[in-house]
Amino acid sequence: MMLVPCPNCGPRNASDLRYVGESHSRPNPNEVTPQEWRTYLYMQDNPAGLLKETWYCRSGCRQYFTALRNTSTNEFTNHPLPGNKTGAVDPSFHYVSESKSDTNDGASS
Amino acid sequence: MSEFASSVVKTYNETASSSLTLSDLSATTKAIVRAGQGTDAAAGLGAPFGTSRVVDGTLVVGVRPTEWVVLGPAEAVWAFTDAIDNTGHVSKIDFTHSRALFRLTGEDAPKVMEKICSIDWADAMMPDSAVVSASVAKVSCDIIRNDVDGTRSYFIMSDRSSAQYLFDAILDAGEEFKLGVTRA
Amino acid sequence: MTRLPLQPGEVIDRSAPLNFTWNGDQISAFTGDTIASAIMANGNRIFARSMKYHRPRGLLTADFWDPNSFVQVGDDPNVRSAHRLAEAGMEVTAQNVWPSLDYDVKAANGVVGKFLTAGFYYKTFMKPAKLWPAYEKVLAQFAPGGKVDLNTPHMYHDKRYAHPDVLVAGGGPAGMAAAIAAAEAGAQVMLVEHEHLLGGSLLWGTEADRAVAAELVAACEAADNIEILLNSTVTGRYEDNWCAIAQRSHPIAVERLIKARAKMLVVAPGLIERPYVFAGNDKPGVMLSGAVRRLINLYAVKPGQKAVVFTANAAGDRAAEDLTRAGIDVVRVVDARNGGNIVAAKGGAKSVESVELGDGSTVEADLLVTAIGWTAPTSLLNLAGDRPAYDPVAARFFSSQLPDNILVAGGLAGDGTTDQLIAHARDTGELAARRAVVIAQTLQRLTARAVNVDGDIAPMPADDRTTLRRDPHPELHRSTTHGLVDYSEDVSSKDLFSAAKEGYDSVELIKRFTTATMGPSQGKLETVNTVAVLAEARGETIAEVGTTVWRPPYAPITLGALGGRIFEPVRVSSIQPWHEANRATPILAGQWVRPEHYGDPAGEVRNVRENVGIIDVTPLGKLDLRGRDVPKLLSMLYTNKWMQLPIGSVRYGVMCAEDGVVMDDGVTAHIAEDHYMMTTTSSGAAGVWEWAENWLQTEHPDWEVHITPVTTGFTSINVAGPKSRELVARLTDIDLDPETFKYMQVRTGSVAGVDNCFMWRIGFTGELSYELHVPSGYGLHVWETLLDQGADLGIKAFGLEAQRIMRLEKGHFIVGQDTDGLTKMPSVGMNGLIKLDKDDFAGKAELAISLEQTNLPKVVAIQTTDPTIVPEEACQIVRAGTNEIIGRITSSRMSPTLGRSICLGQVLPEAADAGSNLTVVMTTGERITAKVMEHHAHFDPEGERLRV
Repeated sequence: MMLVPCPNCGPRNASDLRYVGESHSRPNPNEVTPQEWRTYLYMQDNPAGLLKETWYCRSGCRQYFTALRNTSTNEFTNHPLPGNKTGAVDPSFHYVSESKSDTNDGASS
Repeated sequence: MSEFASSVVKTYNETASSSLTLSDLSATTKAIVRAGQGTDAAAGLGAPFGTSRVVDGTLVVGVRPTEWVVLGPAEAVWAFTDAIDNTGHVSKIDFTHSRALFRLTGEDAPKVMEKICSIDWADAMMPDSAVVSASVAKVSCDIIRNDVDGTRSYFIMSDRSSAQYLFDAILDAGEEFKLGVTRA
Repeated sequence: MTRLPLQPGEVIDRSAPLNFTWNGDQISAFTGDTIASAIMANGNRIFARSMKYHRPRGLLTADFWDPNSFVQVGDDPNVRSAHRLAEAGMEVTAQNVWPSLDYDVKAANGVVGKFLTAGFYYKTFMKPAKLWPAYEKVLAQFAPGGKVDLNTPHMYHDKRYAHPDVLVAGGGPAGMAAAIAAAEAGAQVMLVEHEHLLGGSLLWGTEADRAVAAELVAACEAADNIEILLNSTVTGRYEDNWCAIAQRSHPIAVERLIKARAKMLVVAPGLIERPYVFAGNDKPGVMLSGAVRRLINLYAVKPGQKAVVFTANAAGDRAAEDLTRAGIDVVRVVDARNGGNIVAAKGGAKSVESVELGDGSTVEADLLVTAIGWTAPTSLLNLAGDRPAYDPVAARFFSSQLPDNILVAGGLAGDGTTDQLIAHARDTGELAARRAVVIAQTLQRLTARAVNVDGDIAPMPADDRTTLRRDPHPELHRSTTHGLVDYSEDVSSKDLFSAAKEGYDSVELIKRFTTATMGPSQGKLETVNTVAVLAEARGETIAEVGTTVWRPPYAPITLGALGGRIFEPVRVSSIQPWHEANRATPILAGQWVRPEHYGDPAGEVRNVRENVGIIDVTPLGKLDLRGRDVPKLLSMLYTNKWMQLPIGSVRYGVMCAEDGVVMDDGVTAHIAEDHYMMTTTSSGAAGVWEWAENWLQTEHPDWEVHITPVTTGFTSINVAGPKSRELVARLTDIDLDPETFKYMQVRTGSVAGVDNCFMWRIGFTGELSYELHVPSGYGLHVWETLLDQGADLGIKAFGLEAQRIMRLEKGHFIVGQDTDGLTKMPSVGMNGLIKLDKDDFAGKAELAISLEQTNLPKVVAIQTTDPTIVPEEACQIVRAGTNEIIGRITSSRMSPTLGRSICLGQVLPEAADAGSNLTVVMTTGERITAKVMEHHAHFDPEGERLRV
């Protein structure tokens, strides 16, 4: 099971968190067309590579946070974890709390 | 007014002299204080997220980045929380009835915990007074390391409704280490 | 008896004899014997019959991976007899034999073996499909394996999490040396050994080997920071070094699963000896060199009388020496390094009698020992993403590229003398410990609660070990004849050739088509030979053919161990002791144990309608909301308006997800300035909390709202019925005057002497009712006081069933029962609560679209024409005279109040108007008629009773 680096709790088992989904900004409901709204609801980028996504630290701090994950390797590039991938370790890394206002999740849980 | 009833309702044979013990402290007064970062209240509480400290006969526990639980005798808890600065967005809530509180004490306590919880209990990751929230036997809990005279001890705080189940799950996990029940 | 005199390295304790039975015969054994060594010591050579052809089989490897010696021990099937230790009183029987091990009717398959070539079962029994049940019945008789006893009692299993700095997989010389070096460097080490003893191949080696082993074992045992797990296997390695360990040696649990998050993993499993493919290679008496050396040196068992040894390496040479020393006549040593070969093992079905050699000669022997090379067990490396590469010079696979947190030691890493391998392993352990420090410090730095790390963390230490050499080894896989490649599955090299010819010529295809490598040894013995034979068939090299990917588990693990401890949390309210004492019938709602009824749900309904009843509604989700921006949050979560709710008032609201689907509903009260109490459905409590936090944290972090879940902080009791006011008035200091405390209002005060309670007037049951919320430590006290004080008013407790009947009489829908994952809000008949003139709320954009839709199903009240018929919930509603589904019954009950059947259902708009006639298909297939009602409420549609 992979570790997910919660900015508050540190690396935790993925099962301690809830995967919310890709981070997309929510369209203004008063200006959006039906087509745009459904695209926001149902369409995923699903890249093989870097993906900005939202996690909820359900068993720990109960905070939502964004992370940048390489979906091909499961490396979290904005808070790298120790030792798990060849060449991926940046031991001098120290998490600096990000603004969470750019995290957007509109999908139902 | 009638007496506070714990939700651990079964009776247990109590062991007076076990080196590994579990006790039910659910009647302890518990207050939640919510205070945003940068408020005077947060500064006064001390105990940043993941840590705890003893203040004025209470244990102040940083359970979330902007949330604290204050444990102790009722008078001490209310005296402490009443004195917390109310400026800004600050909330104080009696949480006594929402939460069960257990204490697991003994050198083998980490061995019991590692059978029911995935957290690393090593000193480096969970030193004395550290606080962690995690699933214990599939129940969400806040766990506070609070050694007693140099002996390992954990407070385990869970939702009141699953307390009886959790108490029994801990006892079962501790059976191979001769875990005994003691009165608070 | 074939027990040898005392052997210097034997692991049996001759002072502790024991007995067990083998197919009913007494077997004398010693403590330390495996089941197989004891059976063999008693003169038996045949352990099982093969899976497909039922050919007699003897020991091949005499260890955990032996494919030929699965037995039944009591009710325990498929026991590996060459691994499981003998215990007094065991009842051991042969598997896969009928009627007996010596005479097996199914061996007739051997006669018609040509019909059982690869793919035989697929080709023969696939068509026609309707005959499969008949085929299956017959084929099941031929299925291999032991008997499962369905009456076997459940065993106690266990689970454990561990966080070692260094996890060492393999307790041979390399694993032990790595563990010792890592421990000396300060690491917390977990050393996992598959066998019952540490030592690996040194245990059946020379006196010098055993002395080295003893020294290493003593050092491991003396180290406080090495935890030794014997008879345990690292069965898998997953992301971020999450390792599964099957511990078969736990004192209490039969087998337990350890989930270890290892900072560093050292893989040192040694090498697995590989069988040779030639005619007759499965005859009893054909053994690998490791088997005879284990039997002689560990268990003092004489494996035969006259032996031929076919050797390509030192292990084979040692085997010849061991055999000679044990008094076995080694009639010929055939050396592959000088071009020697063997062609066939000949004799009867039950034993080798002679061996045909590559030079054309034939030698009489009852034992043929082969030592032709090794399989590198790279499973754990594969699981870390490694794709090991084949080295034709060393004739085995080696790791290609590994993550920083895995290191390899021992034979998997290369060759050398014992001293060289140990030196390399020590370097490995030391490097692992240094890397573990860096990883531990990084973990600490990322974790707020952990001990602070001062200064910079060192970079990940580079791999500065001296590389082990690779010794040349002859590439030997198949002789000039065909023989078995997979012993467990009875797959021969001939089968592989024909499969390749048929087009199954990729390694992954041939495996699935022939089932080679898919038996209980899972390729440990077979994979490389399968690949080699396929390469031969294709005229290519092994490197070109490639290999299959090893998958977990490395060794089998029981389902019980995977299940582990049973964690099934249940939740109860503070009134549960009373419910139990009063014989409530429990019902499980999510994790909540709730009283369904107390014996007579219809009577409970009548009593509420006539007198007064109380129900424990503690599971109702309760969220304490504080802060100046609570109304903004409520407006965002609910579809209706919340900015002007006066203090003391309660309002109902519906929450929709962003796709417009009804997510939850409930009431929220404005208790005091900047203080609200929200209720959710019982099952929705956790989800609504996370949903609300999501809006606060990610969309509106500027809003000042504190959400605190207090569901169980308050015990919730609904007091319902025409006499409820009279009862509650006896217990509270709150003024209940209906002129000042109206329907949909909230008050705070004391109840039964308990302070800090709140209560509101709402009406899920349709009666005058007060819902009391009292601090849970006193919940039981308040409940009992109500019953005591209400005795003269005819008070009775009522359960969930009575409440469900009453809410159905009132036509209230339940989210998740009368709605589903597609039910958008316009379907539930509350369009008046959708306020599109609000700036924003969850689901607004979708609801704006769906309000224009004319094809959404509607939730309607339905009554059957025959009032005595209660259609089951989920019965379909069809267009009359057709099978076209246009709706379904979502709730149905017999109403004690109305004396007739009542329902809620979802129907398409064409049938949703009041008075529409419906056809309902009963579960029996019978069709009945029903009618859509004007109001959702079947009873008191004006709601007069609850407003009194």
